[in-house]
Amino acid sequence: MNPYKIAAHKIPRHESAAKVTGKALYTDDLSLPKMVYGMIIRSPHAHAQVTHIDLTEAEKTEGYIGALLPWEVPDTFYNCSGTPPSPLLMKDEKVLTTHPLCVGDRILAIAARTPQALLKAAKAVQISYTILPSVHTIKDALRKDAAPIQPHISKNNILAVREACMGDTQKGFEEADYIFEDDFHTPATQHVAMEPTSCICDFSDGRTLNIWSNSQTPYQERRILAELFQMEENDIRIVKPVMGGGFGARQQLHNQPAAALLSKKIRRPVKLINTREEEMYASVVRHEMQTHLKFGVTKQGILTAFQTEFYLNAGPYTTHTPTIVAAASRKFQYRIPNYLFNGYTVATNGPTAGAFRGYGNSQLTFGRELMMSRIARRLHLDPVDFRLRNHVKTGEKFPAAASAVTSCGIEKCARRCQEIRREIDEKEGLADNEDIRQAWGVSFACHGSGPSSKEGMSSAVILVSDDGGIRLITGSADIGQGSETMLSQIAAECLGIPLSHVKITAADTGITPYDTGTFGSSQTYVSGNAVVLACQDVILKLTDALSDCYDSADITFGEDKKFHIPSENLCLTLEEAAHQVVFGIKGAVIIGNSSYKAKESPNPFAVCMVKAEYEKKTNSIILRHVIEVVDVGTPINPLTVIGQIEGGVAQGVGYALTEALEHSRHAGKVISSDLLTYRVPLICDMPEIHGEYIENFEPTGPLGAKSVGELTTVPVAPAIADAVSQASGREINKIPLSEFFFIKPNKK
Amino acid sequence: MNYFTITLTINRETMVFSVTEEDTLLDVIREKAGLTGTKQGCGCEQCGACTVLLNHKAVNSCCILALQADNGVIETIEGLESPEKLHPIQQAYIEEGAVQCGFCTPGMIMSTKALLDQVPNPDTSQIRSALSGNICRCTGYTKIEAAVKNAARKLEEVSHESI
Repeated sequence: MNPYKIAAHKIPRHESAAKVTGKALYTDDLSLPKMVYGMIIRSPHAHAQVTHIDLTEAEKTEGYIGALLPWEVPDTFYNCSGTPPSPLLMKDEKVLTTHPLCVGDRILAIAARTPQALLKAAKAVQISYTILPSVHTIKDALRKDAAPIQPHISKNNILAVREACMGDTQKGFEEADYIFEDDFHTPATQHVAMEPTSCICDFSDGRTLNIWSNSQTPYQERRILAELFQMEENDIRIVKPVMGGGFGARQQLHNQPAAALLSKKIRRPVKLINTREEEMYASVVRHEMQTHLKFGVTKQGILTAFQTEFYLNAGPYTTHTPTIVAAASRKFQYRIPNYLFNGYTVATNGPTAGAFRGYGNSQLTFGRELMMSRIARRLHLDPVDFRLRNHVKTGEKFPAAASAVTSCGIEKCARRCQEIRREIDEKEGLADNEDIRQAWGVSFACHGSGPSSKEGMSSAVILVSDDGGIRLITGSADIGQGSETMLSQIAAECLGIPLSHVKITAADTGITPYDTGTFGSSQTYVSGNAVVLACQDVILKLTDALSDCYDSADITFGEDKKFHIPSENLCLTLEEAAHQVVFGIKGAVIIGNSSYKAKESPNPFAVCMVKAEYEKKTNSIILRHVIEVVDVGTPINPLTVIGQIEGGVAQGVGYALTEALEHSRHAGKVISSDLLTYRVPLICDMPEIHGEYIENFEPTGPLGAKSVGELTTVPVAPAIADAVSQASGREINKIPLSEFFFIKPNKK
Repeated sequence: MNYFTITLTINRETMVFSVTEEDTLLDVIREKAGLTGTKQGCGCEQCGACTVLLNHKAVNSCCILALQADNGVIETIEGLESPEKLHPIQQAYIEEGAVQCGFCTPGMIMSTKALLDQVPNPDTSQIRSALSGNICRCTGYTKIEAAVKNAARKLEEVSHESI
């Protein structure tokens, strides 16, 4: 039974009509007077020294406007990551460089009058390099004789180490009846948001900098730019237009610093949009991972110890990596007395890695969940029961965690998955014959709601009109996931007004209040709680103002979402109250506001089951079904929650089957430079998806909600690998599976 | 650089453009006609975000030269709705929740239109085949498939009504 009128109801996102008619304005759809087009000229080498730059020919091309050279940028290091200041964020990159450390490193920026002129000018730029030796794998970077890539941070290419421990793993392994251990590898992958990384920077007057960009973290980016350019934050305004996806890729600065300085130099606004090729290897990727996992378990199937050595390939710049390693250490969802996590940020000359949906969780969970299934089967236990037996419950703690789990509906998720699986098997059977063998795989997962470091913070302002309509002003950035609609639902629910009376203004550092940013699955929980508090402030202020109007001290806002004024025997809706307050004799303007700092990062949970088919003669695999059931507390907008599950499954399918930034040892560079050589799932590749949520309530969440976005993609790859392993009879420790099998589409 | 004059009928309006031999149909639609609803996702006909109908066929406008489209009849996302209401395909995409970030949506809807113009009641495999050139990274395609089926039902109702 849904206790809410607007929350937990399926609502198409408020900007849907603009999106289906082509009216929604993305960054590339905007233009400014005198605007020109910019491009970054990037290093084609993984490690080199620029010896000469010659612009003579470029300057002769028609429409050429100007260039920004590496010696014209601040000679200081910065860290591009859109996370609040932290000692984990090391400064090691420059706006432009003469010493590129990866393919795609920024050498210079040029501008021309039209995109066509820009291409010609870019081709005419001549740069000479001395090519230097480069390392691309974690193993090579850790060799004793490997040259340090960031010598001012580390001499051995380990840029940071993270240890998380509890108990005594040595003792835990001694207490175990069996030890299971193995190595796992996951590849570097790219987000492939459909909208390329885009910005328009206007720094023409050299004093105020205006940026329109597809940013997940405008406030962090403003802070970093202010520090880099020695400006006041107030002189920088970042506006996020409608945004075509992010998935973590835009939780950082990309081309904005270079485009801003180029604009300042040529005194014209600059639009700079990455090509798809630049997106693939010169923006940001999910970290390649190498890990060793070791489990101790008793004959009864109780875990006694877990230990991991966890290596992430950061590329040459640390960006987020140490925080991603730290986040990975906080996702072990099983009850275990002895836990040791050793995580390493490793520098290489590969593509720079950063945030990507899952944030370290995707990588560690891949190996962990495959091992959990393997252990269960060796002990002749059901893989679901084995997991549930060891899973933390509400009130218990994850290993090495400070606070307890506040709500956990994992068992319900698992049981519902099993029901759906049974229905599918009853209908279709489970084939095992001469030609094919079908099998199910399973994985559990969890995530946080907001950064697991609990640094999530948000705020909201609510302007109440005289007719009771409200303008919700929030710093929270909707990057395509539907957070503006979800926050509007929360506001409408709390204030008892129709959703159509809520209008939202979001993510514009010039006019909206601070929000940590769209990362760590924060928007529902962190920004949502800020909206709840701002609504409470509106109610408080309206109550006070009504008390003045009616000279009455006992006015209350009831469960019926109405203001009760016993002295007058009156009962007013928010609309009626607003009208009364604004135009009454003791008139008042009502502006609610809030500041919310997260104290928790409650875990949402997911169970995923996959039915895979193995064709013996052709060594092919086909994915038939993916079931994913989640516990996200109250689903504020079930339509987007299910959409997040289905989209998360698709990204998990790509991760498991085909996606990997392939690297040529001979050429020393990434060869996955487009969407043919890097295959994301197409509609014809998709298995049937069964996405559901269970009923649960998170006591610290807004209207009982937890997060959903990142969670959904995490269990998919291990569940697929488990299913394929069962169907093919082969142990799998590595993705993408296209390295080992032919992948066939699921024809219907 | 040489300039050529071409004539295009875009969304039922005939327009004359001066183009170079390098301008693509997408350049003309976005920059010269100012119709920014059509998106550029890759610039090399791999993602389908720039899909428009050229002489009633779905094409990737990023890889068709403007000169090749001379005298062509073009439909873009802006041409679907009437002043009174959304096109049934647009309505179906909204109802099914098939729109997330929305960057692939205009291209996806134009591919859907090309399909439903030819095959009013497509089965799942026909839908998958028609939309396999349009990448969506947000939805997992489930709701898009549902939207196409929903749109087909809506269009059938409309055609019954008009009879």
